[in-house]
Amino acid sequence: MDDAHDELAGRAQGGDRHAFTQLVRRYQDRVFHFILRMHGGRDEAMDLTQETFLKAFRALPGWQPEARFSTWLFQIARNATLDVLRRRQRIEFVSLDEYSAAGEAVDPRDGARLPDEKLADQQRMALLECALRALPPEQREVLLLRELEGMSYADIATTLGIEAGTVKSRLARARVAALAYYRHYAGEISND
Amino acid sequence: MTEPTTQHASEMLLSAYWDGELGAAEGQQVAVHLAACRSCAGRLVALQALSADFDKLPRETLGYDLAGVIEAQLPAAARPRARQHETRWWGPLTASIGAVASITIGIALGLALFGGAAVPRITAMSVFDTMPPGSLCVGLEACYDKGARK
Ligand SMILES: [Zn+2]
Repeated sequence: MDDAHDELAGRAQGGDRHAFTQLVRRYQDRVFHFILRMHGGRDEAMDLTQETFLKAFRALPGWQPEARFSTWLFQIARNATLDVLRRRQRIEFVSLDEYSAAGEAVDPRDGARLPDEKLADQQRMALLECALRALPPEQREVLLLRELEGMSYADIATTLGIEAGTVKSRLARARVAALAYYRHYAGEISND
Repeated sequence: MTEPTTQHASEMLLSAYWDGELGAAEGQQVAVHLAACRSCAGRLVALQALSADFDKLPRETLGYDLAGVIEAQLPAAARPRARQHETRWWGPLTASIGAVASITIGIALGLALFGGAAVPRITAMSVFDTMPPGSLCVGLEACYDKGARK
């Protein structure tokens, strides 16, 4: 599927605007979802998604057909999102409690008030969302690109501008951290 | 190697194994260890469950057609960059068309009005004029000053 997108990108690079708008249609939700999970705020994620495509259009002359278009696009999305996060000095580790206090986070303990049949799933989803927000951005992005986008380590490395070996170790750390949150909050729920 | 090795699989090894990112030999080593070690097998199950949760995560969508919005913004987005003398993907194309048109029109005019002898002079004028014949814009600063700017 991405090969067809690379072909579209080639046409867009050659001046075919229709090809570019087709690319926007095909990637808008994937890029939005990634940015939303990276950033957390829906309105800003919408703005950043738009900004990503406008930046991509301007940067299109620099796109090398050897690089996968999706990888290149996510690189732009990721950089734009990190810029915003840096500007707001939210790059540092934010604890679950801080998020809860600000009313921004989904509280994993809310699951305890749900009907039984949905409880386990809802709780885990809430836990995952909380864990994601609590992870440092460099761990969050690697986890999202792997788990949401299904990117290979090589593609993640290209997207993030790091070595494949770093992807490997960072991803492992991110998973350990996410699972630690699961355990921590699951313990708290069962103790309530 | 049927007995579990004393050394458990590291987090990194297990994570890369789950992603199918280990080489054949290394992957085989981990697989053999997993078959014999309940502790590591349990850790792998946790990784699998985490991935399964990502699959169940609600897929958020934009909820509108961004392509239409982008399409409307493309000319406006390209315009300010032209003021900064930055390379535009269509810039060289427009310039090439302008140059070719200038030369062609110059030759045609020369041939039509004065015959072959006048050709070099008119061609040179067309190429070095700031505005090519037929008002073909090659992206002059003055043109962009007229454009709406926020
Ligand atoms: Zn083991």
